[in-house]
Amino acid sequence: MKIEVLYPEICNLFGELMNPEYLARCSGAEVVRTSLKETPRFVTEDIALVYMGYTTERGQEAVRDAFRPYLDALRKRTEAGGVTLFTGNILEVFGEYIETDGKEKIPMLGLFPIHSDRHLMKRYNSLYLGKLGDITVAGFKSQFGHSYGDVGEGLFTTTRGPGLNPGVKPEGVRVNNLMATYLIGPLTVINPPFTKYLLKLMGVEDPVLAFEDAAMDAYNTRLEEFSDPKRGFTY
Amino acid sequence: MDKSSTYVKPRGLAAVRFFLALWASKLTVPLLKITRHNGTNFPGEVAMKLCPDFLKYVARPEKIITVTGTDGKTSVSNLLVDMLESAGHRVLNNRMGSNINSGIATSLLTGCTVFNRSRHDMAVLEVDERSSRRVYPYIHPDMTVITNLFRDSLMRNAHPEFIAGFLNESFPPDTRLILNADDLISSGVAPENPRVYFGIERMEGDVVACVNRLNDLRVCPKCYGELIFEYRRYHHIGRAHCCDCGFSSPEYDYAGCEVNTADMTMLVRDAGGEARYRLLSDSVFNIYNELTAIAVMRELGMSHGEIQKLTAGLKIVESRYKAEHVGNVDVIMQMSKDRNPLASSRAIDYVTHKPGDKELLLMMNNLSDEVDWSENVCWLYDCDFEFLADERVKHIICTGPRAKDYYLRLLLAGVPGDRVDCVRNEFDAADKLHLTPGTSVYMLYGADNRSLSMAFDVRKKVMRLAKEAAER
Repeated sequence: MKIEVLYPEICNLFGELMNPEYLARCSGAEVVRTSLKETPRFVTEDIALVYMGYTTERGQEAVRDAFRPYLDALRKRTEAGGVTLFTGNILEVFGEYIETDGKEKIPMLGLFPIHSDRHLMKRYNSLYLGKLGDITVAGFKSQFGHSYGDVGEGLFTTTRGPGLNPGVKPEGVRVNNLMATYLIGPLTVINPPFTKYLLKLMGVEDPVLAFEDAAMDAYNTRLEEFSDPKRGFTY
Repeated sequence: MDKSSTYVKPRGLAAVRFFLALWASKLTVPLLKITRHNGTNFPGEVAMKLCPDFLKYVARPEKIITVTGTDGKTSVSNLLVDMLESAGHRVLNNRMGSNINSGIATSLLTGCTVFNRSRHDMAVLEVDERSSRRVYPYIHPDMTVITNLFRDSLMRNAHPEFIAGFLNESFPPDTRLILNADDLISSGVAPENPRVYFGIERMEGDVVACVNRLNDLRVCPKCYGELIFEYRRYHHIGRAHCCDCGFSSPEYDYAGCEVNTADMTMLVRDAGGEARYRLLSDSVFNIYNELTAIAVMRELGMSHGEIQKLTAGLKIVESRYKAEHVGNVDVIMQMSKDRNPLASSRAIDYVTHKPGDKELLLMMNNLSDEVDWSENVCWLYDCDFEFLADERVKHIICTGPRAKDYYLRLLLAGVPGDRVDCVRNEFDAADKLHLTPGTSVYMLYGADNRSLSMAFDVRKKVMRLAKEAAER
């Protein structure tokens, strides 16, 4: 089993490289890394999970340019049920465009029916609590803008915090097993139930997480905090 | 651009407004003291509220040096102020205040008379990177130091490329930049400005591949090509070139060489000569800070001999590192900075490389964050907790609101579970210390005011426990 990390040389902010590392430790999968100048392995190989994490604004354009030739391959992978996870602002790269401070529209890959805005003088920081079926997901957001468009139910249904934008409940985008979320950081480490769900999609039967007891203990504490109505959700 | 043009004498109604703001804000200074409030921003906030252009009109010294960057700006500013004062200058500074625009306004208003005359001949101002756009339109520095740029608080600073972009648009075009040649991110800021570079030549312990989790420059910043490091100190700090486009680290104008932490000396070489300096600290980070300060003093026209004399009595600020032998153990306070993977990684690296057995109290929580929300823990996964798997680290206690997050992080870092305790309450955590004779007890703590206060309170308990353990 292989996990492919796309463009880790620029998609590595906020501790997100721990996601593929943790999933590998929980599954015994091999982690393979593909740089901007290489052809992604998933185009020709059987990859259990393709992962890409948060990058800089300049990095978003580099990812767009590097990935464009493989967009059809990703479409085919997704139609076939392949599992893919994008975190943070990578979601915006697969939208139609990013509008910067109401001035310039930067075209993106157009896989998702969304567009995004970017306000470099603002930083939207929040906690997040949401649901994926009966799984509760807790996480963090930190971004320069939001996304807009019809994403159906999205990836998560928001309980507290902003969805794809502060006005909607759906958070992220989901197409079959292609999942993209604005949540950042070590999402899999801090959300053991979601991680088990992901591992099952990847083909791991009855997954056991690395340091599961400690992970669950920290997760339960966080859920309790995030469920406290007195807890502020924006920073 | 005429530098004096940034210090505008107010006229007409603007003068009325300015002087009202100056006098009202000056009044708040003794009021804060009487009421025992520690509001270092408050007088500046009052001034800018009453007169939004306050920074434009308030008097300032003839010569201004600003210091910015992710880490080391406070240490470098303090070193500069101490040296310049020892050299006989009257130096305005914001070491007791904050480094954002209102803090700088506070420093300037307290540094001038009621008739708006500066009492100082120089200023050394630490400026927060994010405040640059609100400071530099009004404050026109002769020199600006950028210590380095790393990822910092992700909520505020996002990432170093963003901060570099911020700085690119902030500095007046004739401000001379003093830059770290060993940092390919900050050394490229504001390329049109006049500049000199400092850096440290190859040192014992340098590596080529990155051994840190946090690496803000994995590829060439120009073309995303492969970066080859001739030597790397830590993270992305070192000397490198790009295989694809030829981009490379700049040459040093001020080179630290022959760094010797055994006899605590470093040779500093520049176009005007060379001299051997006493090291103020054996941590590489502080060696950079010292070299930076020496480079600034050289740029101010001082000779190596003069600077050597000025460094003789210098010390690193105690609030960041405080060691004391109590009973049978050493108790060491090591500020690590919450939410900052770089500062914490450097602190952890420093601690693990110290000789002997250690016991650690991990309390780098941001207690101010916990009042209103829940601290974002993403940074823990950019921080080198892996170094704590060293066998000489005998015992670690995770404490504070994020204790369970630290515990999980340590397990994932390869620290054996039987070496780690997890105790929510900081004072109860102190009770868990083994205080084995001959051990160094390190307290790693956060930098926000609540965390600082908590750390020093817990330290009192640790000292008492260490004393009692020795008496038993």
